[in-house]
Amino acid sequence: MSAVTEQPTSAPGPTSARRGGSLFRAELHRFTARRFIQALLGLAVLGWLAAVVIGLLQFGEPTDADYATARERMAEVIAGEEAWRADCAVEAEAVGRPVDEFCGPPLDASTWRVEDFLDTAPFDLASAAGPGAIGFAAAAAVLAFLVGATWIGAEWSTRNIVALLFWVPDRLRVIGTKIGVLVLAALGIGVAAQVAWLAMGWLLRTLVGTDSALPAGFWGELLAAQARGVLLAVLVALIGFGLANLVRNTGAALGIGFVYFAVVETALRIYDPVLERWLLSINAVALVLPGGVPVIDYSVLTTGPEGPPTYLVTNLQGGLVVGAFAAVILGAGVWLFVRRDLQ
Amino acid sequence: MPAVQMAGVTKTYRGKGGTPHKALDGLDMTVDTGGVHGLLGPNGSGKTTSIRALLGLVRIDAGEMQLLDRPVPAGLTGVIGDVGALVETPLFFPGFSGRRNLRLLAETAGVPRDRVEECLELVDLRERADDRFTGYSLGMKQRLGIAAALLKAPRLLILDEPSNGLDPAGIRDVRELIRRLGSDGRTTVLVSSHLLAEIQQVCDSVTILARGRRVASGPVASVLSRAGTGDVRVGVPDPAAAAAVLGAAGFTVSPAPDGQVLVHGAPAPGEITRVLAEHGHYVEELVRVTPDLESAFLAITGGQA
Repeated sequence: MSAVTEQPTSAPGPTSARRGGSLFRAELHRFTARRFIQALLGLAVLGWLAAVVIGLLQFGEPTDADYATARERMAEVIAGEEAWRADCAVEAEAVGRPVDEFCGPPLDASTWRVEDFLDTAPFDLASAAGPGAIGFAAAAAVLAFLVGATWIGAEWSTRNIVALLFWVPDRLRVIGTKIGVLVLAALGIGVAAQVAWLAMGWLLRTLVGTDSALPAGFWGELLAAQARGVLLAVLVALIGFGLANLVRNTGAALGIGFVYFAVVETALRIYDPVLERWLLSINAVALVLPGGVPVIDYSVLTTGPEGPPTYLVTNLQGGLVVGAFAAVILGAGVWLFVRRDLQ
Repeated sequence: MPAVQMAGVTKTYRGKGGTPHKALDGLDMTVDTGGVHGLLGPNGSGKTTSIRALLGLVRIDAGEMQLLDRPVPAGLTGVIGDVGALVETPLFFPGFSGRRNLRLLAETAGVPRDRVEECLELVDLRERADDRFTGYSLGMKQRLGIAAALLKAPRLLILDEPSNGLDPAGIRDVRELIRRLGSDGRTTVLVSSHLLAEIQQVCDSVTILARGRRVASGPVASVLSRAGTGDVRVGVPDPAAAAAVLGAAGFTVSPAPDGQVLVHGAPAPGEITRVLAEHGHYVEELVRVTPDLESAFLAITGGQA
């Protein structure tokens, strides 16, 4: 700064008239410029490419010999099952119990598909679309959690959020804008993940798949599951953001997430099986899975053939519970941010 | 219109174990518009807490504060466009370049990009503006922090320990910059520092804090004179004999450097001249000892610095 006295003054020149600032636009730029977020998104793209390659290698058009081998294998399995049932029927008679009750319903081999016994099967979009959408939704949710946590965690690590308050002292506006940017990003991640799955499905179907007709209602059910997957990504991103905002550190937020899933949920399941229906993991899966997730209630002891009762965690409950987790964690972090002293 | 006003501001932190610690204890401070005002005090005296409270980072327990005639924190949003601040260490993204960090801030407030370049020029960082912040030296980081504070062309510039980490040339340049900003007729600079010499060199007025309270304030010269001891340094050809004469006349004396005599607590220097002349000692030099800010500060705060 040796030439400091020859420099312009602190007052802006005539061309420096201030335009209306846009916190949202600035935050969006800040978000897209973050290297860690760029790296995460880059890794996601690489992961997708790897999945496509694996899919292309795994699926293929089976030969007649492959079909013959598969039919042989299926026949062996059916024979084995029937032999087991015959033995079981003898045992049932010996103990005086009905065969269907003691051994279960009889085998219906007509529903078995030879394709399931092929080593190299063609890709079947009709059967793979749903699970694929759920898998991509899960991957998008994990990515969104990381992005949400690092988005605010890095702000706290660098204390850049405090510097931002020298420009925009309205804390609610600052944190609200950051949340807005995150929601937009998580929507983008969720939608991109589902589009990536559709693209992958189309590629596999075109190159190594069966072109059998898709069942009625296929697209409706798939798109609904995908939409719920996008919602999951948004909610999980908010949970990641909320946790990192509470503890002011990305790493600590990830640690809390790990401890919750690895320790807390396990402990709660052991403590009271009824609690399982309210756990985050079950509800997250139930939000996306078509029809929800049936949870077996092991707290009810039964001896009859009907087994223990099940509780259905519906899509709606899944959304509400995950949403409640997000609202509480995010709300607590926002409240603290607005109220507490910042050093 | 004062640029900064604080009246009866109190702030108590809860320490570990819930022990309360009063960081500000009924602090009053007024910074008039224009010029450079120093905020001086030992560590823990409340300087940074005062600045944080003014900027809305810390919620005060009691008292009233105003920035540029607007109550804060309630009216902070309306006045923040005219206030630039650098509080302790500059806060930037380490992976971004200096220029990108400033541009992101500028975009937040609608400051045009030209202004970013002006401010980079102002702190002599333009050539290194595309380097990543993490590679900057402490001095460069501090200069970028000052550039960020200047982006808004603020009417009130608040700098907390601005010379931290700077080399001697950097310190000199920052002080020149502060002086220049304070004399441009538009900008008021509030600068906190633990460097007494810095305050003395760059400030027109000063507020001295100790234990969260104001212990002195006013123009630097006035604060210095208030802490004056009334000592007078007397130059005579025969210091030993002159000291004996003055001692016999009831003055408290001690040897001073350079063979002079130091007369303590002399209310009227003319009396010294008269007594010495009556005994044939003719004064060659008689100077009232002016305390520097360090002495004044130590005297006012009871040496707790």
